[in-house]
Amino acid sequence: MLTRPLLAVVALLLLTTGSQAQQDGGSSGVTDIDRLLDRFSEDSEKFTQTEGGALYRTTCQACHMADGQGDAGAGAHPPLADNPKMNSKHFIAGVILTGYHGMPGFSDMLSDEQVAAVTNYVRTHFGNSYPDPITPEQVEALRPPKDAN
Amino acid sequence: MAKTPFTPSRRQLLAMIGQVAGAGAMYQAMTSLGFAAESGYRGEIDLQGPRQQRRVLILGAGVAGMLAAYELRRAGYTVKILEYQDRIGGRCLTLRGGDRYTEMGGHEIACDFEGDGYFNPGPWRLPIHHRAVFDYCQKLGVPMQPFINKNNKAYLHSTNAFGGQPQRIGHVEKDMRGHVSELLAKSLNQGGLDEAVSIEDREKLLEGLKEWGVLDSDYGYRVSNDLGEVRGWDIRPGGGLMAEKKPSHPIDLSPLLHSGLWEQLFNFHGYRFEPPMFEPVGGMDRISDAFAREVADVIQLNARVTTIAQSDDGVTVTYEDGGRGGTIRQESADWCICTIPLSVLAQLDVDCSDAMRKAIAAVPYASAFKVALEFRRRFWEQDDWIMGGISYTDLPLVQIAYPNYGFLSEGPAVLQAAYDTATAGRNFTYSWSTMTPQERIDAALVLGRHIHPQYDAEFMSGTSWVWHRVDWSLGCYGEWTDDLRDVHYETLCEIDNRLVLAGEHCSHIPAWLEGSLLSALDAIRRLDARENA
Repeated sequence: MLTRPLLAVVALLLLTTGSQAQQDGGSSGVTDIDRLLDRFSEDSEKFTQTEGGALYRTTCQACHMADGQGDAGAGAHPPLADNPKMNSKHFIAGVILTGYHGMPGFSDMLSDEQVAAVTNYVRTHFGNSYPDPITPEQVEALRPPKDAN
Repeated sequence: MAKTPFTPSRRQLLAMIGQVAGAGAMYQAMTSLGFAAESGYRGEIDLQGPRQQRRVLILGAGVAGMLAAYELRRAGYTVKILEYQDRIGGRCLTLRGGDRYTEMGGHEIACDFEGDGYFNPGPWRLPIHHRAVFDYCQKLGVPMQPFINKNNKAYLHSTNAFGGQPQRIGHVEKDMRGHVSELLAKSLNQGGLDEAVSIEDREKLLEGLKEWGVLDSDYGYRVSNDLGEVRGWDIRPGGGLMAEKKPSHPIDLSPLLHSGLWEQLFNFHGYRFEPPMFEPVGGMDRISDAFAREVADVIQLNARVTTIAQSDDGVTVTYEDGGRGGTIRQESADWCICTIPLSVLAQLDVDCSDAMRKAIAAVPYASAFKVALEFRRRFWEQDDWIMGGISYTDLPLVQIAYPNYGFLSEGPAVLQAAYDTATAGRNFTYSWSTMTPQERIDAALVLGRHIHPQYDAEFMSGTSWVWHRVDWSLGCYGEWTDDLRDVHYETLCEIDNRLVLAGEHCSHIPAWLEGSLLSALDAIRRLDARENA
């Protein structure tokens, strides 16, 4: 259906970004724009990144920011650093699956492996160093039961 | 290895229903999914008014809050609005050259448009059946202009189809109609539908299909001058001794089916997107400005609500004057109408029933983003003959919307160069939301030049909006599901002692202005009835 490999596009973009970089005075090189476009998944309905950091940069970073500090104004996106809730890998994986307050859940767009990867990433970065990674099997057990029909 | 069970997105589900059971069934399913709900507007509201002096405190100066203030004051209530921002209008806003906004994360969004083009980060088009919006626009003097949602000259584009060349919407639509008509005629002629249609009906149908699908005498969908009159020409009929006209050639069925462009046509099918749609002349904030003209004198800006406390006969709202960390002050009133988005409200100290607190915390807020780019000239009009409308693509920018004003004018003009919401079921909006303002512009340029190669030569500046980086909404709109509604919706909308919530999140039309207006009208109607019970 919507599975449209972006590889061809990316290849074309690579051919053209060089000239743009020159126009920009070289401020944004080929690798920068390539890395940026890598944030878009090849499948619009499932995230296709597998590594925890890549998944963080294409989803969580929108609210929790590149440095994991979140931000606050009228409302807040909570920091992932110095946050006691990070203590529980089950809680974090559960929030990623089902959402929390205004945060949307990602259970339909991330596999158990991806949820485990990003959970383990946020619990070992931004000053966190929790020693107990979660496994995909443990993530699967956290998924809410689906209706039989 | 763990496997995720297949749960189709609403989009997948609709496409499946459409393919298997036809457009009628798909529309029916869309209605069930809440995509095509009617507006419940019942005309001008008639409030009784209070029997004694009554004060209503309204939280939020978006259109829901301002409408509530406007109508309640007309009915004799004393009203006051507390607003967190230093501006009014909430999510109904417009950016123009010179505007600046600092989003969460600390990046500044600059809008440096040099021409008179503008950018509506939130609502941007109005379906004609959204009667409350149109009624208030008429009442408050907001002029309207047509919004071209579907322009047959605009493009459908698929990266892997037709060598990446965009196709005209009208061509895709007419070719699908022609091919389907041909197949249907073939099946009728071979007796394949004898059980479904009588002989008389079969003759009527064949006769109609010939016209409708522009089929030739053998019921074939082929190039002809008749088709030229419907689909257009390779050489258009000219004047004098200009070259002889030549009809255009249809795209073959199989590549069309595999291109995904047929599916992109469904973007125009919804009842909400039926032509004609409308927009306020000059930008969407003309609507919020019109409400502000009526109620600006009761709005206090820069007030960040922290606590909503209730007793049996009133409410006390604590707020920080000047924003987070500001001077703490209080306001008391007989009633409180709270239009603060649930995403933010869930983080505040709200004195209400456990059930309502659960409802407030239950609704996720949808991801949505837009990028707008200003160009030196209207190349889409001058080179591509696209006057307004929207092109769709399978690239992550999803759609390019052309301005529906200033046609053929010289000088700079603004495109809405990328836009998507989580409702569509695609993940692109999350990824755009992770980008800095400059990165969004870079990505929109690099992707958009596949549809309009003129981007490179004509680009001037860009701006953008990411709703999850807006601290007063933490997302774009309440992302309800049927399951969530079953459990929480009624509780959320009920009057809880002296408090009632309003806004698009308290409606069956989330994200639309009509939803916020209907919600506010219903809330004040019930409040007024309670006051007079």
